[in-house]
Amino acid sequence: MLSGVGIVCFSASYAIALVLEVSRLLFRSGVRGIAMLGFAGAGLVAHSAYLYHRFSESKVHRLSSEHDWYLVAAWILVVVYLYLVYFHPRTAFGLFLLPLVLGLIGIATWFADYEVRESASWGWGVLHGSALLLTVVAVLVGFMAGLMYFWQARRLKHKLPPGRGIQLPSLEWLQRANSRAIVVSVLALGVGNLSGIVLNHNRLTADRLHWNDPTVLSTQLLFLWLLGTAIAGVFYKPARHGRKVAYLTIASFIFLVITLGVGLLLPTGHGRDGQAPAAGEQGAAALAPPQCPPCVDSESSRSLTALGPTVLGGSA
Amino acid sequence: MNVQVVGCSHHGTSIEMRERLAFSPEQTREALDHWRRVFPGVEAVLLSTCNRVELFVATENAEPPTFEQIAQFLARFHDVDPAEVIEAIFHYSGEAAVEHLFTVTCSLDSMVVGEAQILSQVKQAYQVAAEHDNTGPLMHSAFQAALKVARRVASETAIHQRRVSIPSVAVADFAKQIFERFDDKHTLVIGAGEMGEETLRYLQDEGATDITVVNRSLERAERLAEAWNGRALPWDKLFDALTEADLVISTTGAEEPIVTSETYTQIEPARNDRPLFILDLAVPRDFDPAVGDHADVYLYSVDDLQAACQQNRKRRNKELPGAKRIVEQETARLMADLNHRATGPIIQQLKQGWQKPKEEELLRLLNKLPDLDERARSEITRSFDRLLNKLLHPPLESLRDEARDGIPHVLLDALSRLFQLKD
Repeated sequence: MLSGVGIVCFSASYAIALVLEVSRLLFRSGVRGIAMLGFAGAGLVAHSAYLYHRFSESKVHRLSSEHDWYLVAAWILVVVYLYLVYFHPRTAFGLFLLPLVLGLIGIATWFADYEVRESASWGWGVLHGSALLLTVVAVLVGFMAGLMYFWQARRLKHKLPPGRGIQLPSLEWLQRANSRAIVVSVLALGVGNLSGIVLNHNRLTADRLHWNDPTVLSTQLLFLWLLGTAIAGVFYKPARHGRKVAYLTIASFIFLVITLGVGLLLPTGHGRDGQAPAAGEQGAAALAPPQCPPCVDSESSRSLTALGPTVLGGSA
Repeated sequence: MNVQVVGCSHHGTSIEMRERLAFSPEQTREALDHWRRVFPGVEAVLLSTCNRVELFVATENAEPPTFEQIAQFLARFHDVDPAEVIEAIFHYSGEAAVEHLFTVTCSLDSMVVGEAQILSQVKQAYQVAAEHDNTGPLMHSAFQAALKVARRVASETAIHQRRVSIPSVAVADFAKQIFERFDDKHTLVIGAGEMGEETLRYLQDEGATDITVVNRSLERAERLAEAWNGRALPWDKLFDALTEADLVISTTGAEEPIVTSETYTQIEPARNDRPLFILDLAVPRDFDPAVGDHADVYLYSVDDLQAACQQNRKRRNKELPGAKRIVEQETARLMADLNHRATGPIIQQLKQGWQKPKEEELLRLLNKLPDLDERARSEITRSFDRLLNKLLHPPLESLRDEARDGIPHVLLDALSRLFQLKD
């Protein structure tokens, strides 16, 4: 039965929830909140069933495919959305989060036909993949909070009372969310980096990723940015307050997009089997760990020629 | 069944007359006790606020008091000339009385439409009447329905969400949009204006505790600070206090701005980009408007807040038709229920009148068929019940339909005569 659940099922549910969120701008309704929760919840159930089916049917770890990795990231964002809507039903979080969810699902469908390789270093691979997954989710949540901060600040600067249907959290709440997103993302990416180094070290010397691999470089750039942001927040008080912290989280999102984009546009050996692909063939595999030599095969090599994090491929 | 309301409100009665007719909580209890003695069996709820005095009365079977009797009751209680009272008060009965109750409870009749206080006042009036045994089935139905309608209006319209007083707009629409909590924020009060104090009251309700008062007269500042459990600082410490502050309420009588963009620039680095909410309630303004151009400064003058209040008022007015529609729907529903309830005795007699022959026929049939097993007997019994329900359904449905437009006296009379029902 689960095999009948497709991406369209949960995407449509999320899209309807988004339409309902947008309708806050147009009219009031006593049942909209329940309908939004219902559609997003139904989408999450279908989403979970889809992932469960894929994970249980596969002999390899599905997180090592870009398709599943992005779907899991979207799944986590939906959980965050439902949590926020449940506790802040009047706040329009969905306007900001659901497009990100649909975007992640859209990227995932791009990779739907790619094969998955088997991971040899399962434990490090899981740690690496999960940490990078958390990084991306934290950066996206921070981005959402940053956008909301600017929207709210603009409204307050223009001395406008809260608009019809659109409730936003206070600047203080958003500032706190921004700060926490930075801390979580820097910690998660730190763990992701360390586990990636171990994975790379476990590879055969010839297959090891070089430090100047574009994906590795862009990921390190993101890490340095996040680390710098977090350190600035500790030692430079203004970086903890007001617009600055919102600017920092939006800049973090831009760095994330660059990191993911680098994997798509530039030749990288990251997420592959030690050799860099030709330009145009390679996958972004941004934030992704190197893949393991034992799982090289002609089919699986295609799986790494795609945009997006190939998270769980472990180095043997 | 009879429901009436007699009273006065800010709409058509002078404040002098309202003051003369107003009831304190003790007087309300006394009046309700007195009412029970004068009009036994007549339910009553007395609502007395600063804007209205209204007496809701209802009776199912007892002789209902006339408008004049109710007016005289109010007049005599307050020792006012009844003619004067009759001149000043209004009277609604039946559906209009119920609709008025709903309109008042939903705050659609208030001086500030949408203010929330009236709902708790109606609730309290109903509770007091219930505690004094002045309520019965009609008042219970009417007031419980009124509270339900108020909840519906609150959830389906935004009429209560738009604040229309300057201090409430300042705190709810702006300060609370900047700060999540107020118990860890520094509030600085500059000057000692009345509106500043009122705003401070709202902030204290939200949890603000750390209050600093700066005034040109330290003695005045100390007096205010004592009243608000805060601390007073001399005028020359103004900029130190401003550096520390998260919220500022300024109400001095200064003729020139006391804080300009240049002076603010000097303290800005020490603030570390913490958001600053400034409520400049002074006229002329205490803060140069250019201060509001600084990042993370949110500066509001009286005019800004007036504009927001005006905008909220307009939005509330836009919600009025929707709220009134709900009141009309719910009034019609309650009236149909109450009218249908009036048909209760006839319905009961009708059911009982048919029940007896059904039981007799059923008994006769079962006696003639002694060999039937338990299942067959039960099936036959159920069949008789179903038949009876089907026969009764059309007349009961007709009664329900007719009750939507009032008590169906003609139909009730016809049923009584057709089926020889006795009163």
